Amino acid sequence: MKFTSIEKPASRLKSRMKAFELFFLTLVLTLTISVSARADDALKARVGVLKLSSSAPVFIAQDKGYFRDAGLDIDLKFFDAAQPIAVATTSGDVDIGVTAFTAGLYNLAGKGTLKVIGGMSRAKAGYPLIGYFASNKAYANGLKTPKDLAGKRVAVTQIGSSFHYSLGLLADRDGFRLSDIRVVPLQSLSNVAAALKGETVDAALLPVSAARKLMDDGGAKLLGWVGDETPWQVGAVFASPRTLEKKALVTKFLAAIARADREYHDVILAAVAGGKAPINDKTRPLLEIIAKYTNLPLEQVVGNCAYIDPEGRLDVKNVAHQIAWLQGEGFVDKGVTVDAIIAKDFVKPD
Amino acid sequence: MLDRAGEKSQALQAGGDNLRKVAFRGGGFSPKTSRYAGLLALAVVIVLWQAAGSLSLVNPIFLPSPLAIARAIVQLASSGALWQHLAYSMMRIGTGWLLGTVAGIIVGFAIGLSTLARSVGITFISALFPIPKIALLPLLILWLGIGEEPKIATIALGVFFSTAISVYSGVDAVPRNLIRMAQSFNVPFLTIVRRVVWPGALPSILAGFRITASIALLLVVSAEMIGAEYGIGAFVLQAGNLMQTDQLLAGVVILSLFGLLVGWLISRLEKRLLHWR
Repeated sequence: MKFTSIEKPASRLKSRMKAFELFFLTLVLTLTISVSARADDALKARVGVLKLSSSAPVFIAQDKGYFRDAGLDIDLKFFDAAQPIAVATTSGDVDIGVTAFTAGLYNLAGKGTLKVIGGMSRAKAGYPLIGYFASNKAYANGLKTPKDLAGKRVAVTQIGSSFHYSLGLLADRDGFRLSDIRVVPLQSLSNVAAALKGETVDAALLPVSAARKLMDDGGAKLLGWVGDETPWQVGAVFASPRTLEKKALVTKFLAAIARADREYHDVILAAVAGGKAPINDKTRPLLEIIAKYTNLPLEQVVGNCAYIDPEGRLDVKNVAHQIAWLQGEGFVDKGVTVDAIIAKDFVKPD
Repeated sequence: MLDRAGEKSQALQAGGDNLRKVAFRGGGFSPKTSRYAGLLALAVVIVLWQAAGSLSLVNPIFLPSPLAIARAIVQLASSGALWQHLAYSMMRIGTGWLLGTVAGIIVGFAIGLSTLARSVGITFISALFPIPKIALLPLLILWLGIGEEPKIATIALGVFFSTAISVYSGVDAVPRNLIRMAQSFNVPFLTIVRRVVWPGALPSILAGFRITASIALLLVVSAEMIGAEYGIGAFVLQAGNLMQTDQLLAGVVILSLFGLLVGWLISRLEKRLLHWR
């Protein structure tokens, strides 16, 4: 009896000390790990992009190591739609986002959860990006040009999307009211394509990447490209306020992107003729990179080359117009201004 | 019998010194719903939620405060859009639910009563039930266009499978001896179905209604993905597209109020139809 009563506390003390030691060791280890991680964090970023050629410079910069050259550690996160990238930037799941402007993005930016830091794809004459498409039936019944869209049922993915705004621009230019068009939101590209193919809508706006198959199969007729009718700034690079505090990171990121923008412009865009880039010794390496990241065959990539400013500039005036238009339609909260959502230190205006 | 029972109890009383007295324990579990406790819990949650919003503990984009949601609902109601949205959604939910339920009851009874229907039906239901209706949207658009038909079909499909399953398991659960007795008395088939099987299966059919009514409400959002201009689902989708989270939650609150109303209606229906229980 005596023996055990003496021994027990001693062993308990021992085990307690061991536990304490272990705890302390873990603490020290975690601290060192987190400190070393923090040192890396300064130049580390998760970038949200779509698997579309409208983000080509991001793929080129990643694949050719331009980010690495700038000392950056960039992790690309792929998304299926534009809006979730803006939401992920707000929630902190990605640090930098590259995608199209949408009403949702402006509403988030208006609440201060993200700011635009640079330009990306543009709808520009000669470069296919977003197209107006007619169903075969509507085409046979005389819907031959974008002008004829007045009074028709036109499918778009979402209310306040790039496609909806493109339609608004067309209405303004051709002097009809958007309310003359019956805009049908179908939520996803596959739904829009199905409606067009099934001839249940007269027309639809689709990105070239989603429409290519439909055009080739004869499921729809191309009426024209938005870039030829009403050019505008479709895509942008944006970042969360927390990322913007890391000035070095953002500056280096934008410089690496600009380097890729320039290369993409000079090598591929300069060679585009008739909406297609030629495949030759010069263009092939870059086209192959785009093909790799977009999971498309080379023959399709050449027809999907969106225009991107060689210096990564942003058409600020058009952005202001987008906001005003979306506010006029009631899709963006009043009080959102272009000055408030653009990070002036980083954006190079047109 | 009585005498013997009396003897026994006397014998027990005689040996009573050795017996322990035990308080009555077999009360069973009988949870009762107290209306006030439920409301109070709800009120506490809402007050805490509002407090978190007012003290800016949470970002209003991630979780709009109850006041902001209430404001969005009032705005929607005063602009008159709410009634339009509700009217369209109720039409779709009502028609879809009715179609799905009628078809489900017919198929469910067939499976419960006929060998052929059972062997074929159960296979098809098991194969088709787990298909997410949302994945079929492009096909539904190709088949039925973008009018009301595919929207109603989406809801009807969702309702149909659940109803069919709850109906045939209800039919299976009808006491066999009741059916056998009716058959022995040479009661015609249709009368057995009407007088024995139907009332016997009714409790589980009504329990199925509770589930299918919720399924119909769940599916109205998917259904209204198909080019709907009006409807609570279309409103929720648009609010999501535009990242107007207060409006989004306003739509969700309206849907859940709608769910409460439907639940209450079904309780009334159960009380009326199952008073014999």
